[in-house]
Amino acid sequence: TLTEDAFGLLRYVKFHSSNFENILMWDSGPASTPDMVYNVLYKRYGETEWLAKAGCQRTKQKSCNLTMETGNFTEFYYANVSVVSSGIQITSKRSERFNSLQHTTIKPPAVTCIPQVRSIQMLIHPTFTPVLSEDGHQLTLEEIFQDLFYRLELHVNHTYLMHLEGKQREYEFLGLTPDTQFLGYITILAPMWSKESAPYVCQVKTLPDRTWT
Amino acid sequence: EFRFGPCRVEGVVLSELWEAFSAMKSTVQTQDDITSVRLLKSQVLHNVSDAESCYLVHSLLKFYLNTVFKNYPSKVAKFKISKSFSTLANNFFVIVSKLHPSKDKDMLSISESAHRRFLLFCKAFKQMDTEAALVKAFGEVDILLTWMQNFYHL
Repeated sequence: TLTEDAFGLLRYVKFHSSNFENILMWDSGPASTPDMVYNVLYKRYGETEWLAKAGCQRTKQKSCNLTMETGNFTEFYYANVSVVSSGIQITSKRSERFNSLQHTTIKPPAVTCIPQVRSIQMLIHPTFTPVLSEDGHQLTLEEIFQDLFYRLELHVNHTYLMHLEGKQREYEFLGLTPDTQFLGYITILAPMWSKESAPYVCQVKTLPDRTWT
Repeated sequence: EFRFGPCRVEGVVLSELWEAFSAMKSTVQTQDDITSVRLLKSQVLHNVSDAESCYLVHSLLKFYLNTVFKNYPSKVAKFKISKSFSTLANNFFVIVSKLHPSKDKDMLSISESAHRRFLLFCKAFKQMDTEAALVKAFGEVDILLTWMQNFYHL
């Protein structure tokens, strides 16, 4: 039978997921040797058969992209990494049960900050994920998380902060001083799943007011 | 608020259930080595109509309270998860106590459909060794919560 990881050959077999891109990662142990390679298997929880992930067989890499194989976010998956040396499988280690809806983190949004003389516009671009809908189009985060909304903060100075939030993607901070530097922070939130992205930060300066020159 | 068809359940914060289970998840799920068996299969939970949902969630949560959680305390102490376990069990109890599935005759076919789904779950549970089934059922609470999330409204 396969020995457990008694020799410190294989550690931390774990899924890392952000915006539904699901990457399996692992680490070699202290007892690993340079000739060792890895084989990755995966399966849906509840099924008997393990499937080999093409492109991650006899690999020296310590990661494997299983986005397409684990793309159904209503399903639960396992992955398994085995260590092979001189053609012999020495040990293997299983990941924890994975579900992308639970585990994925949300990346900062892509935003265009447009300065005017007395305002700043912020256009948030849709975030497409690798998840495909039934009719084959790529789902956006908004389509997956029904309660998703955006939070925008504009730091005027150390003490004064303007704040907007909502589900739409176009916002404008009004009543600003011309020719002045501002810092904008834009975050994505999906409260039902207790998910919050890191902020996208834009530094922008309002245009000078030339009306009287 | 949960809206399982006509059944409304207020006063339960779903993120607290998630938080409680997440604190135990790794410990509990690594005890379950039978990755080829899933109790809460897609035939049990997929495409459940609103009308069916009240019957099904009532049956499932009662089963978890009366069978799974009731027989789990020995592990709770061993794994030091009693606080999270209590939070989960208490919230399940609150939900069940607030669910009142209709007993009208015209709902008979719907309640029977929900019952067939529940029996699928019970059958899979009984086909396993009891100890292994308890561990597996407990480890599948995230599957149950993921399904319940469809009926939760902030």
